[in-house]
Amino acid sequence: MKTLVISLIAALLGATIPVLAQSEQYKQAMAAAIGTTKTQSMTTSPADILASANQFERIASVETKEWLPHYYSGLAYVYLGFMGKDATEKDAYLDKADANLKAAEAVTNNDELATLKAYIAQARMVVDPMSRWQQYGPLFEAGIEKAMKLNPENPRPYVLKGSSLMYTPEQFGGGATNACPLLKTAKEKFATFKPASDMHPNWGQKQIEPMLEKCK
Amino acid sequence: MQNLSCFFIFFLLTNRLSAQTTLQGRILDGRGRALPGANVFIKGSYDGANADSSGAFRFQTGRRDTATLVVTYVGFDNYAQKLILTGSPMDLKVTMTESANELNTVVITAGAFEASDSKRMTMLKAMDIVNIAGAAADITSAINFMPGAQRVGEQAGLFVRGGSNLEAKVIIDGLIVQNPFFSSLPDIQQRGRFNPFQFKGTSFSTGGYSAQYGQALSSVLLLNTTDKGSQDGVSLSMNLASTGVTYDNATEKSSVSATAYYGDLRPLFALVKQNVEWQKAPSYGGGSLTYRYQPTKNGMIKAYGMYSDSRLSMIFRDPGQASPANELGRTLLNQNNRNLFINSTYTDSWDEGKWSLNTGFSYSHDTDDMMMGQYDFSRLNQRTQVRAVLTRALPGNSQLLFGTEFHSIKLGNTVFGNRYTLTDQYAATFAELQLYASRKLAIQLGVRGEYTSIIDRFNVAPRLSMAYKTGSYSQVSLGAGQFYQTPDYNYLFLNQSLHYERADHLILNYQIIKNKRTFRFETFYKNYAQLVRELPNPGDVSGFDRNTGPDNPYRFPTGVTNNAGKGYAQGFDVFWRDEKSIKGFDYWVTYSYVDTKRLFRNYTMLATPTFVSNHNLSLITRRYFEKIRTNLSLTYAYTSGRPYYNPNRPEGEFLTDRTPQVHNVSLSANYITRFKGNFVVLYASVDNVLNTRNVFTYRYTADRNGGPRKTRYAVGPTTYRSFFVGGLIMLGKKAKVDLNKL
Repeated sequence: MKTLVISLIAALLGATIPVLAQSEQYKQAMAAAIGTTKTQSMTTSPADILASANQFERIASVETKEWLPHYYSGLAYVYLGFMGKDATEKDAYLDKADANLKAAEAVTNNDELATLKAYIAQARMVVDPMSRWQQYGPLFEAGIEKAMKLNPENPRPYVLKGSSLMYTPEQFGGGATNACPLLKTAKEKFATFKPASDMHPNWGQKQIEPMLEKCK
Repeated sequence: MQNLSCFFIFFLLTNRLSAQTTLQGRILDGRGRALPGANVFIKGSYDGANADSSGAFRFQTGRRDTATLVVTYVGFDNYAQKLILTGSPMDLKVTMTESANELNTVVITAGAFEASDSKRMTMLKAMDIVNIAGAAADITSAINFMPGAQRVGEQAGLFVRGGSNLEAKVIIDGLIVQNPFFSSLPDIQQRGRFNPFQFKGTSFSTGGYSAQYGQALSSVLLLNTTDKGSQDGVSLSMNLASTGVTYDNATEKSSVSATAYYGDLRPLFALVKQNVEWQKAPSYGGGSLTYRYQPTKNGMIKAYGMYSDSRLSMIFRDPGQASPANELGRTLLNQNNRNLFINSTYTDSWDEGKWSLNTGFSYSHDTDDMMMGQYDFSRLNQRTQVRAVLTRALPGNSQLLFGTEFHSIKLGNTVFGNRYTLTDQYAATFAELQLYASRKLAIQLGVRGEYTSIIDRFNVAPRLSMAYKTGSYSQVSLGAGQFYQTPDYNYLFLNQSLHYERADHLILNYQIIKNKRTFRFETFYKNYAQLVRELPNPGDVSGFDRNTGPDNPYRFPTGVTNNAGKGYAQGFDVFWRDEKSIKGFDYWVTYSYVDTKRLFRNYTMLATPTFVSNHNLSLITRRYFEKIRTNLSLTYAYTSGRPYYNPNRPEGEFLTDRTPQVHNVSLSANYITRFKGNFVVLYASVDNVLNTRNVFTYRYTADRNGGPRKTRYAVGPTTYRSFFVGGLIMLGKKAKVDLNKL
């Protein structure tokens, strides 16, 4: 009985002492949240993607020294920016994506954040291409270039540039002929790319598969 | 003892369990509607939940005592509330405030018609202006199709709501442009000097404009140049008038664009019949350089310089030169114009945009070597200006700005070989407060003080603008103010004790933009005072200069002048645009009405000025045909008759005759394609498709004895039906696509 009491008290006390539990908690929370995103695609409902974005936002509010929660939240808002029902809603989602990107950039600067910046610019442009290409086109190109320069092995800039060209009309420099070399390069890089950890970004391979079909 | 320890354990256990506080509640907006999917959490902890489809949430947190509850939702300001957590469940109702956006925040617009890609509540996008058939890719020609503008076919410049072309100024990046148009020629409407693709936004103010600008009784046309370019490569352009080459280079922080062109209108004049008797068709050459540099994150240096040299020779009719041997007054005119224009700005902001600074410098030097007959009529125009504006952002979208500008002007005018010169220093300071009393109500209060050295006078002018949001898509606004302008320099050569001319404006505006349709209605009243009046020369019979009409551009007033002139202008305009009703088809209609009378210049009584047409109607249509990759535009412009001077009328019927109405139908098309991997645009336009014999005004020829004349001749456009074709090819590996470059 005495040992039982002592072990019970120890267990109770132990449960309230936060020793390195934060980092474990962070890894677990991120693993859970990232796991959910792996099941998502462009056909997932906006409500589910918003739930993911919220999850990452909560993690970000605790782990102020980490850039990854802000990165994933920003990425989720980019998807929402493509899905929004009208221009006002799309721009509101992309405003949140911008805020998340800014918070991530305050922590660090790297190729994935440059790619995210280009992705946001692309989403902004798609809202109203005829009037926005002049403002956001250059931002998109600049982000892609910076990402490629910072890490030539990263396939994601090639994914974005290739898919953007695939949906640009041929006479404006797009079409399959111009997009395919970039998409093929992306596919090659996916084969050899090793993310820095389980939590680091590794999306894009599923995205380009349907487009690669057109490249045969 | 055992009971005590059991109790102790039990106590610890229940304490530990009740350390979890249950938080539940609903997230709503200002109108009590649920915000599904809102993010509700405790700041700095992993405890939180997503609100469900009814806005309800429920979660537990292990935090104790004080904690901050944070709620975020897209399109709304973040919500934060301090909580005291005791372990007992808490039921919370959270109301969130919508962030400021286009639908809930008002924008001040009275008196301004905007074409911009980035600003809110604008009627048009920047490139919409350029694609108008009949505008020939000239911004000021395109402005003539906007509400408030009056078309005067035979004179250069902007005539706005009953004001003359001297009362409207062109301003680029805050700096006044001294010579925005090519040198004036008798009875020829000259183009603007600027390439419209340099600009990212245009604001055409039809009155009631901000305290930041002055010296324009009627209106200012504000042009904002594009920011850093991203093109790389060379493009060649060729059309019936000129050929040109442009080189672009962009790096991460800077961009450079250099253009050179040469033009000669002989091929065009050989193909299109001219109503003007050219001796030597205009030939011109020049170049421009644009440089952009971003030294810091928010800083930007822009520098622009251009030089052009043009020559021409024509025969024009000047009734003032008529003689028995030369009844029509045919006079040979030779003109060589050289123009240098430099415009440079530096802008920066700091402290997260709390402070921003806008500085600018501009220099222009323009000379006209001109001979009319055997007389020298050369002119010189030089202006140097500097400007600085400091803006402080205030909470809630409001802002306060202070600014100052200083100009040094030198003018020379030769009349019949006699040379007149003058120099003038002009200084102005201004302050403006833009206040958002609420999201729905905005007020802009400004004051401007000016000093002009040549007349040695000060003035202080108040300005006021207000706007109120009547609904999500509509608003009403009001603009009012006093506007001063130094009298025309032609008068100041001989009389430097004149006062400023003054106009008081009052403008009311209602607009609604919804579902890709726009409706805008504006009404105005203007009072003119202290206009310059020329007193009759003692030798004149009727008090009116018989030798030339009231608006001969080369008239040099030699009589006594004072500020006894006055006038009024009132009217309204309507704008309707629809991009939705017919698929792929975009059209807009503008109608302007003005009723105005003035007693000024050498007028003998209060009368409607000769440049005024009471009714102006424009219909502009555009359609993009995807299969043939062609953009087509059709425009119809109607201008009602204008007054003209008839010397056969008795004095009491001064300027009561009206010219016939003017109709003009224009068509333009542009086609995009690729040639050997290079991007190519071809364009063609036909102006005055129906070949209407339009008349802009009449002049009366001299009678053999110098008495009242009965024969008149018509002054019309330089060509009737005319056409124009051209093309552009963009070379270079990294040439970026420019969808709208024509």
